[in-house]
Amino acid sequence: MDPSAVASLLLVGLARAMILFIVAAGLTFVLGVLRVPNIAHGSLYMIGAFTAFTIAEVLGKNPAGFWIALVVAPLVVAAVGLIIERGLLSHLYQREHLMLILFTFGIMLILNDMVKFVWGADYRSVTPPEILDGSFTLGDFAIPRYSIFLLILGPLVALGLWLLSNKTRLGKISRAAAVDREMVGVLGINVSWVFAAAFVIGCLLAGLGGALVAPTTSISLGMDHTIIIECFLIVTIGGLGNTWGALIGALLFGVSQSLGLLFLPQYAIVFPYAIVVIVLLLRPRGLLRSVW
Amino acid sequence: MRGKFFILLTALLLTAVLIACGGGAAPTSAPPTSAPAATAVSATTVAQPAARPIKVGIVDTYSGPPAAFGNDALNGFKLALNEINKEGVLGSQIEFVTRDDKYQPDTALSMAKELILQENVDVVVGTVNSAAALAISSFAKEQKVPYIVWIAKSEAITGAKGHRYVFSTSENTAMAGKAGAEALAKKPYINYWIAGEDYEYGHAIANSAWNNLTALNPNVKKAGETWWKTGEPDLTPYLTAIMAAKPDAIIFATGGAGMTNVLKTAKATGLSDKIPMWIHTAIDTSVLKPLGANGPEGVMGTMDYLFYYPETPENQAFVKAYQDAYGAPPGFPAFHAYNTAHFIAEAFKKAGTLDKEKFIDALAGLKIDSPTGEIEMRACDHQVAENMFMGVTKKDPRFEFLIAGDVVDVSSQAVMPSCEDVLKQRGQ
Repeated sequence: MDPSAVASLLLVGLARAMILFIVAAGLTFVLGVLRVPNIAHGSLYMIGAFTAFTIAEVLGKNPAGFWIALVVAPLVVAAVGLIIERGLLSHLYQREHLMLILFTFGIMLILNDMVKFVWGADYRSVTPPEILDGSFTLGDFAIPRYSIFLLILGPLVALGLWLLSNKTRLGKISRAAAVDREMVGVLGINVSWVFAAAFVIGCLLAGLGGALVAPTTSISLGMDHTIIIECFLIVTIGGLGNTWGALIGALLFGVSQSLGLLFLPQYAIVFPYAIVVIVLLLRPRGLLRSVW
Repeated sequence: MRGKFFILLTALLLTAVLIACGGGAAPTSAPPTSAPAATAVSATTVAQPAARPIKVGIVDTYSGPPAAFGNDALNGFKLALNEINKEGVLGSQIEFVTRDDKYQPDTALSMAKELILQENVDVVVGTVNSAAALAISSFAKEQKVPYIVWIAKSEAITGAKGHRYVFSTSENTAMAGKAGAEALAKKPYINYWIAGEDYEYGHAIANSAWNNLTALNPNVKKAGETWWKTGEPDLTPYLTAIMAAKPDAIIFATGGAGMTNVLKTAKATGLSDKIPMWIHTAIDTSVLKPLGANGPEGVMGTMDYLFYYPETPENQAFVKAYQDAYGAPPGFPAFHAYNTAHFIAEAFKKAGTLDKEKFIDALAGLKIDSPTGEIEMRACDHQVAENMFMGVTKKDPRFEFLIAGDVVDVSSQAVMPSCEDVLKQRGQ
C-alpha cells in the first residue's frame, strides 16, 4: 500500500471528522446542560450553511466574504436559537423527555420549511477564499487546502470549548447545572439564563459547522438529515453530554470511513456504523463518562 | 407576564412563517385561465366536443432537495398549457391538480390513489423518484388509467415493468448508460472505477453504462467500485481513495445534489485534472450553475436537453418564453413536462374523445414537435424516442457558469434498446 495514499486518506478523513465534531459538540453541549435531545440541531446547521452562502453571495468577489460569513452565519443561527429557547423551549423544561423530543422535531419541520421559503429548493455552492482554494500535493495526491484549514480549526474549537467549560464562570455553572440544576438555583444563580446561554452556544456550533461545510459540499434542503443522524451516533458512542466524547466519536467515525475506503471501498459505507454497533455492545453508555 | 408575551410573539411569528410557506411552496391546483367550456364548444374544428375539461393529476416532489426538479417541471407544464388552452382541446381546456409526494414512494402512491379514485383525473403524470413512479405505475395499470412519467429515469419503468398504461417522456438509464458507453468505448481506457450514490438511480445508471461498455469494448476491466449514501456531505475521502487506486477512467453514478457535490470535490482534490470521468447529467445546467466559474472542466456528460443547444429558432423561442415567465432558463424537467403537456393535448385531439383506452391508442406512436426537434412516443414500449446530447464541461464567456462544449447529437436509435429486447424483459 502506498504510504502517501494512507496518509492523504487519513488527513481528509480527519478533516471530515472535524466538521462532524464541531456540530456534534454543539449537540452534546445542549444534551449535557439542558438534557434536551435537540433534533432541530441539523436544521440549524443547514441554516448556517445557507446563511454563509447568502453572505458570501452578497459580498460577491470580496475576498473577506467567506471570513465574514464564517463569523456572521453562526451568530445568525445563535440568534435563531435564542428566539427558540426564550420563546418556546424555556417554558418546557419541566416536561418529560418525549415531549421535548417531539417539540424539537416540530421545530425541525418548521425550520426546514422556513429554509425552503427563504432560499428556495435550488442547490447552492460556496467557493472557498483564494488562500484556501487549491491543494497541497502529497506524493501522487492532492490534499485540498481547505481540509488542512479544517484540521487546524477543529482542535482550536475543541480547546475553546474546554476553556469555556473549565475556565469560565459560565462554563462552571453550566457543568454544575448539568449535574444538579435545583442546587444551582438554590445558590441564587439564574438557571434559566444559564440554559439559554448553553443552548445558544450549541446553536453557535451548529451554525459554525454549517458555515464550514458550505465550501466542501452542495448546500441543499435535506442536508440536515444526514448530519443529525451521524451526530446523534457520535454523541452516543462518545458519551452523552461529553465534549471530549464527541471529539473521539467524530474521529472514530471519520477515520473508520477513510480506512474502510482504502481497504474495502465497496463496503466503506458500513464501517462507521459497524464501529458504532461494536462500541455500543461493549460500552452501552458510551466511551467516556456520560453526564446523564 | 413576560413569559406569556414571548410565547405569544413566537407563536405568532411561527404561524406567519407557516402560512407564508404554505402559500409559496405547495401548489395545489390551477383553475383554467380563460374561456369556460360552454363558450368554447362553438369551435367548429372539433368533431366531438368534450362536455368537461380534461383533468391531469400531477404527483411530484415539491419539498426536500428534489423540489428543484418538481418545480421546474411544473413550470414547463404550465407554460405548455398556456399555449394549449388558448385554442383548447376537444373544445375544452386542460386543467391540473398537484400533490406533493415528499419524494416518498408510499406517499406518492396514496396521492395517486386519491387523484384517480376521488378527483377522477383523466391522466396521472409526474414523479422525480423512480421507486414512486414504479409504485404509481402498477396502481395505474390496475385502475386502467394512463400514467406518464416525466422525470424519473429508471429503465424498469418502460422496460421490465412496463405495460399498456405507463408512458415515459424522460430519457431513461438504459439510454443514458448506452450513450455514455458509446462515448467511452471510443477512448483507449482499460481500467475503470465505478462510483456513485447507493440508490436505485445510481445502480441503474452504473449497470447500464457498464454492461453496454463491456459489450462494445470487451477489453475493459473493472478496477473497483465505491458507493456512498445519498446526501453524503463530504466526498473528499471517497475521491482520494479512488485516486489512490489509479484507474484509467471513472464512471460516476450520482444524481441531484450529489452531482454538484461530486464535481466540486473532483475539482478540489484535483481528480478531474488527473483522471477522465463520465457522469450522466454532468453537463446539466442545474448541476453546473451552483458551481459558477469554479466547476471542473473536461468532465464528459450526457443530457437530453440543453437550453443553449441546439441553437434552433424552436428551442430559442421555448427558452425565451420560459425565461420571461419564470426568470431562469428551463432545465430538463421543464422540457420533459412541456413535451408531456403537448403529448397529452395531441393524443386527446387524435383520439377525439376523453376515453382513456382511445387516448392510450392515440398516444402510442404519436409524434410531436418538441423544442429540440421531432420526438416520438414509441408504440412498442411507450418510451419517448428523443435525441441525446454528449458534451464536455468547459468555460464559456457568455455564461457565469460552465456549459457543455463540443456537443454531439446522439440519435435515439443508437441508444434505445430494441423493441424485441424490451418485450423480452417484460417476459412477453
